[in-house]
Amino acid sequence: MFMPITKNSYFKSAGLVAFAVALLIGILAAAGFGQDPGRKVFETKCFSCHNIGGGNKQGPDLKGVTDRRSEEWLKEFIRTPTAMSRKDQDAASLFKDFAPEIMPDQSLTDEEMDSLLKTIKTLSDSGEMFTPEGAKLARPIRRSDVREGWRLFTGQKEFENGGVACSTCHGIGSFGSYGGGTLGPDLTATNIKYRDPELILILQEPNFPTMTEMFRDHKLTEEEIVQVFAYLKHSKEVSPNAAIAATTDSGAVEPRFLITGFVFTVLALVGLNFVWRKRHGNVRGDIVERSKI
Amino acid sequence: MDVRLQTSMVFHLDKCIGCHTCSIACKNVWTDREGAEYMWWNNVETKPGTGYPTAWEDQTKYKGGWESNGEKPGLKMGSKSSRLLNIFHNPDLPKLDDYYEPWTYEYENLFDAPEGADQPTARPVSMITGEYMEIEAGPNWDDDLSGSPVYAANDPNLDALTEEQREELFDIERLVFFYLPRICNHCLNPSCVASCPSGAIYKRGEDGVVLINQDKCRAWRMCVTACPYKKTFYNWSTGKSEKCILCFPRLETGQAPACFHSCVGRIRYLGGLLYDADKLVDSVNVPDGHLVDAHRDILLDPHDPEVRKGAMKNGIDERTLEAVERSPVYKFVKEWGLALPLHPEFRTLPMLFYVPPMLPVMANTEDGVYDTANDELFSPIEKSRLPLEFMASLFSAGNIDHVSLALKKQYAVRLFKRLETVGDIDAETVRVALEECGMDEAEAEAIYRLTSLPTMDERVVIPPSHREEALQMLNDDMWDEKGKAGLGSRNLPVRGS
Repeated sequence: MFMPITKNSYFKSAGLVAFAVALLIGILAAAGFGQDPGRKVFETKCFSCHNIGGGNKQGPDLKGVTDRRSEEWLKEFIRTPTAMSRKDQDAASLFKDFAPEIMPDQSLTDEEMDSLLKTIKTLSDSGEMFTPEGAKLARPIRRSDVREGWRLFTGQKEFENGGVACSTCHGIGSFGSYGGGTLGPDLTATNIKYRDPELILILQEPNFPTMTEMFRDHKLTEEEIVQVFAYLKHSKEVSPNAAIAATTDSGAVEPRFLITGFVFTVLALVGLNFVWRKRHGNVRGDIVERSKI
Repeated sequence: MDVRLQTSMVFHLDKCIGCHTCSIACKNVWTDREGAEYMWWNNVETKPGTGYPTAWEDQTKYKGGWESNGEKPGLKMGSKSSRLLNIFHNPDLPKLDDYYEPWTYEYENLFDAPEGADQPTARPVSMITGEYMEIEAGPNWDDDLSGSPVYAANDPNLDALTEEQREELFDIERLVFFYLPRICNHCLNPSCVASCPSGAIYKRGEDGVVLINQDKCRAWRMCVTACPYKKTFYNWSTGKSEKCILCFPRLETGQAPACFHSCVGRIRYLGGLLYDADKLVDSVNVPDGHLVDAHRDILLDPHDPEVRKGAMKNGIDERTLEAVERSPVYKFVKEWGLALPLHPEFRTLPMLFYVPPMLPVMANTEDGVYDTANDELFSPIEKSRLPLEFMASLFSAGNIDHVSLALKKQYAVRLFKRLETVGDIDAETVRVALEECGMDEAEAEAIYRLTSLPTMDERVVIPPSHREEALQMLNDDMWDEKGKAGLGSRNLPVRGS
């Protein structure tokens, strides 16, 4: 018997189809990452400086690194590269080759580490080049984004999730006479140092020890990433002669500064002691002293 | 006219024997406490001498009192902004060594010492650290050293003398000194009140006693610098400053302050004075030489009906006015011009007045012969052993006329009474002496009576302060205050609160 399709049942079936599609996409997406969590780790933690099969960037191409080095060596190097460069010949020569750039310490869990090494090995063996999946802006850059990015950078506008303004730790060419903070490197030429996808990845998931901690619970929103990115890209145009600032070991102490500071402090104290040398004197003591023959 | 009442004092230095009973009475009542060991709200100094704390009169060092540039008096310690800059480190404070390190003796050792070859001794022990110490100074050190060249020679008032006069003064066998007992002057223009950043110091409306509120004091110690007489003291234990309270709990119950009560020489007089608060600022804006006159000018005659009307308008009670009429201070200061303020050039209008002492030459030594015989009964005051310039530097900001008159009057009174009781002087000499200082016989007799024969009730005429009226303004429930007297705050002073 012929059953006419009622309005009601039409919607019912449409809803079913939509649900099925969503489910499929969800399963596929989950499967995509579920299959290889190492890709995600590499993308967020390593890709801004390293390629697999695409040539050297700030750091060396990691193709075949799992064959060149032992697993223990790799794990130790990834977690504490600077410390290792002081005691290991190979690590030291790597640091020398890429000087003044250093590799910041990476805090990875054991699972992340294992999956990362597995992914590098798989990709190296298959000869496939790593391409990031998430390094995209949510929308194209508009003209007004540069200004908004500047406001975010300088802290005139707060990050929605409470992140610290960039200028707290970073200087930038167009920032103004006092400059920004000096804890992190100057960011004027940062869009020369990093290519667009790398820079976007850093903004999405900062992978420098200090920034990782500071932004763990205060991620930038998609909109903010677009705006800050736009501003960082723009700043090089404003000051075209800026040099690329290397990532340096923030724990390193310059002895000359310490010594100078110490010497000036001592000089200042001696000077104050001279200027106020009579502060412990008293009237009676002076009178008695004067009367002595 | 803004008539106000001040309980004020006269110390008759010609009668002071320097026994320090007043100091001990005060110490036992008020400053026998931890943190107050070094304080002497009442102290007796030997003059010439540097006093306590050492050279307190030298305001180039201590920056106390007011300065006047002819327009408006300002604190010598600096403007408001400079005081604020120094608020955490006030540079012009006397050190503990300028007062003295208080000590006691290890008396137990005299009883508990083990048997040995030597006599046990009671070594001096610091009352601050509890350790053995060498005594280097005391609260009346120049007295203990009998006007030693160290302390006596550094008296700031000696600057008023010529080199020759100074040399004569320190000649052997010519050495001369007198005593200067000091308490808080309860000034009309108190610089300690003006300097306090916490607003803790105030002058009581009903009797003008200057007090430090122990609940409000925050230990800035600006008052210690600002008071030119160095009569506010910092208590290191409670973290509050303290000063002479003129024994107000005693005054309120009609008793003389402890130092007045115990005075052996009966040199202390207390009574009310009425003054015109409207003229106050102008009276300190005059040149040094006119300060004493300006000070006397603001004091009002309690017999004047206009003054009485103004007093009543300001809430001064009829019975209080009766007491003010009998005030011995009014007679000494205003009627007779005998009593002078101590260092009026500090411009705080001190309300403790001093009758300057006579220091006549009583004998001469010639060729080794000690000769008590003198041509005259007393040597004229111009030949006093302490030059008039020294007295003027102390009591009249350099104006010799005032000290000269005060001494001549005392001289004339002596001659007048000598003629009456012994009769060995020429009546004409007495007449000339009286005339010279513009005094009649009645006045001479009155001065004699109040100087030599006053009873306690004549010396100390406490104007009833009518605390009940002051309390009524603070507390509606008068019955709650009935029978109460004395210290208002019963909280122990606590550092930092």
